[in-house]
Amino acid sequence: MAGQLFFYFLALLTVAGAVAVVALPNPLYSVLSLVATFLGLAGLYLSLNAQFVAVVQVIVYAGAIMMLFLFVVMLINLGREERQALRLPVQKLAGTIIGLGVFAGLVNLYATTPLLTGAKGLFPAARLAEVGSVQAVGRLLVTQYVLPFQAMAVLLFVGIVGAVVLARRRAR
Amino acid sequence: MVPLTHYLALGAILFLIGAAGVLMRRNAIMILLSIELMLNSVNITFVGFARQWADLTGQVFAIFVIAVAACEAAVGLAILISLNRDRQMMNVDEINLLKW
Repeated sequence: MAGQLFFYFLALLTVAGAVAVVALPNPLYSVLSLVATFLGLAGLYLSLNAQFVAVVQVIVYAGAIMMLFLFVVMLINLGREERQALRLPVQKLAGTIIGLGVFAGLVNLYATTPLLTGAKGLFPAARLAEVGSVQAVGRLLVTQYVLPFQAMAVLLFVGIVGAVVLARRRAR
Repeated sequence: MVPLTHYLALGAILFLIGAAGVLMRRNAIMILLSIELMLNSVNITFVGFARQWADLTGQVFAIFVIAVAACEAAVGLAILISLNRDRQMMNVDEINLLKW
């Protein structure tokens, strides 16, 4: 029961944050509500026995990436987005219908997928509590998934170099 | 225990909110933020299935998704900064130099 209350509280926080991200006119507030969404998601990861992902979410996402966004928003000094009122009633209606249709399709798919009763792997909750999520995920990262892990390192390196090259002031 | 379908439904809702943001907002930074939202909705689905299958592959992939999102944010924001410096543009409707 407590677990369910926890879930619904965090789910509500997450969805409210997400709606605020899309709806608020000021990008600064949008970034801050995205931080709230990410913290809610970190709590949900905790409820799914994914402590490592939860900590990475807080440190990397809420900490690093969102601060980068905040930096850029403040650097560029956007102010309020000048928004032309959406004068596309037909497209608006069609978009709403298609969006709801996609949601219904996804929920239907999720409710009927055979993946819901999958084969049980090596890490049920009891075993995970014994070894700890950090150790188990870390071990997988450097054994079974060592190649993607190395590729991730290369990708991050290229990302850093690319960001510096792109944002550098060009000599005229 | 909260059933997996609840987590999956939450992921679907977040994904649709993010997709709506990408389509509706005209500010390039807001579009990047909405993409982050969509990436996170996929993450919650990954981690949910990881619990359901008692298999940590989903959690490992969530970590990979976070790393890719970090790269994407860094490069995307660098592009926006240089675009803003050279042409003072932030509205994606004005950025149409490469449009066919």
